Amino acid sequence: MDLNVIKQKLFRLYLAWICRPYRVKKHLKSSLPAGRKPAPVNRRRIRAAALQLEFKLVKNPLDYVDEMHRQVAKAAAKGTQVVVFPEYNSLPLLGLLPGSGELEERAQKSAEGEKDTGNGIDLEVLLPDLFRYMSPVVQPLVHALFSSLAEAYGLYIMAGSHTLTENGDLVNRAYLYDPSGKLKGAQDKVNLLPRETTWNIKRGSTFSVFKTPLGNLGLPVCMDATYYETFRALELAGADIALLPIADPQEYNFWLALRGIWPRVQESPLYGIKGALVGNMAGFIFTGRAGIFAPLELTPAGDGVLDEVEPCDREAMAVADLDLEALHALRADHPWRDQNLALYRRYFPEIYGSQI
Amino acid sequence: MRVSAISLAEINLENLSRYRADLSGLLDTLSPDLAVLPAYSALALGLGTGAFMPGPDFGATFYIYSADNEGWNDIFLDLHADLAREKGLYLAAGTTVERKGNSYYHTAYCFDPAGELCCRQRQTHLSQIEREYDFSRGEVLDIFELEGPGGKPYRAGLIVGNDARHPEVGRILALRGADLVLHSGALEAGPNCWAQAAGMWSQVQQNQFFAVEAQLCGRMEGLPFEAASAVLAPCEITPGKSGYLARGYPQTPAVTAGLDEEARQEIKNNYPVLELLNRGAFSDLVNFYNDPEEDRETERMYGFKRY
Repeated sequence: MDLNVIKQKLFRLYLAWICRPYRVKKHLKSSLPAGRKPAPVNRRRIRAAALQLEFKLVKNPLDYVDEMHRQVAKAAAKGTQVVVFPEYNSLPLLGLLPGSGELEERAQKSAEGEKDTGNGIDLEVLLPDLFRYMSPVVQPLVHALFSSLAEAYGLYIMAGSHTLTENGDLVNRAYLYDPSGKLKGAQDKVNLLPRETTWNIKRGSTFSVFKTPLGNLGLPVCMDATYYETFRALELAGADIALLPIADPQEYNFWLALRGIWPRVQESPLYGIKGALVGNMAGFIFTGRAGIFAPLELTPAGDGVLDEVEPCDREAMAVADLDLEALHALRADHPWRDQNLALYRRYFPEIYGSQI
Repeated sequence: MRVSAISLAEINLENLSRYRADLSGLLDTLSPDLAVLPAYSALALGLGTGAFMPGPDFGATFYIYSADNEGWNDIFLDLHADLAREKGLYLAAGTTVERKGNSYYHTAYCFDPAGELCCRQRQTHLSQIEREYDFSRGEVLDIFELEGPGGKPYRAGLIVGNDARHPEVGRILALRGADLVLHSGALEAGPNCWAQAAGMWSQVQQNQFFAVEAQLCGRMEGLPFEAASAVLAPCEITPGKSGYLARGYPQTPAVTAGLDEEARQEIKNNYPVLELLNRGAFSDLVNFYNDPEEDRETERMYGFKRY
């Protein structure tokens, strides 16, 4: 066997050891509250938090654990019942790999506006291999961490999405944990960015809806919110709230950022909660504004926004109350919505059925 | 191709000759290859010229108009066909109520530079109030070919009134090849900018076509209409990445812009939104809308029959 392969396997064993669930839980034990009971559910007032996290590589997995804990504690202190993390939420764990210092250096140069010389390493090419290598390490850590946090704080936590392997395929998968700490559901990203198609990420094939006392929840991932079909499919499957993790790899622009969850909750009346990853990573610049969105008719200013963080490049949190009764009342007596079966039956088999 | 969206603000609606002269003068000033008028254009002109007597409110007026407007439709459509021929442009004349047997449709018409009808489009999704007026839904979305400057072909469709808020319409047109959509709209005066962004702006961004959005500016039987007319394109090829090539205020008589098809094709190649759509994942939509059992559920949830 090639010496490098042996080294890689040994190093992964080391990573698995330092990221093991027992270590995560033991570390959290001293700092977690003792099993907070979930707040009673009032369907007229579901309090939600959308987190905006700033990307930072970690050298120690327990630093990542502490950071995620800090975020949940911050949301819990606001009385929230559901918390939404960003896409690619375990990316900071790449800092555990040898050579990650170089990634940080490149991020720093990029933040200071210096041209990235690349130094012979094309991260775009490397990343899929790094995801594959880290997946067996990341997955148990993520489950142990977010399960413990959800149970301790009595919250629903959408843990963001994570790039993992399943049966040899890479998937971009979002996880939802319930207040008992159980994994309530998972959703693979269905519509991919061009970059993700070159990484050979396997697309999800359908959207799931998870029934909870807080309403029926869907977990579309980032690019899924580019298309009206995603939210229409969720709505028709009974969803009330879409929990959307994003990591938008471009300079912030109000209009470009508007092309996601905001129009989608106007087209298909749902509440939408967007968690965003921001910051620099080896030349990638992620921007966004985490927020909580609703149909125009259900927002005080008539602008479709219940709360949205101000900065597009720093840590922040949006918090708002959702009224499921008002959402259902709007759907039942909507001023302009309609369906046209004859039209859909004429064209949909051609446009959606051909690739079944 | 140079396109204009006309709101009918500052156009005389009280006299047919003056209307024609005003519109003709505006078209001469703007010099577009294609112009779009807003929704309710025939009704506004019919009321303004006294061809119809108004009812006690807008709803009643609309009802009276719908019941007996065939003769007026001929006058209205002939006038715009004539204008299109005279100016040598494509003219989407806005909308009127079309009667077919016992069914009424909210319908838009477009004439080519020879004055021939090149597209007639019935509104396919009705608002609550339009359902109360007993309107019927169109069941077909037509695409027609426009010849731009230098003979460059564009495939186009018309989006009528409330269809702007139904993304199925834009998606069907885009996936069947539309490069450009012409929207005739009329929104009751108020803070409409967000409703408009949720309408045509959103349809343009998720389909990467051009749109010419003409919104009615005027008052009919106590009901004011006001919204911003605009020419829209994918964000990446517009100033400030706003998605607007041109955008007026609610009282602006017209907005005009040039469409750069090469730039649109370039962004479609760099970021192929429609190619990236995982269409197979939405086959459930086909199944849902073909399932009669879902009818009762829809009526329960939304308070209207699906058909």
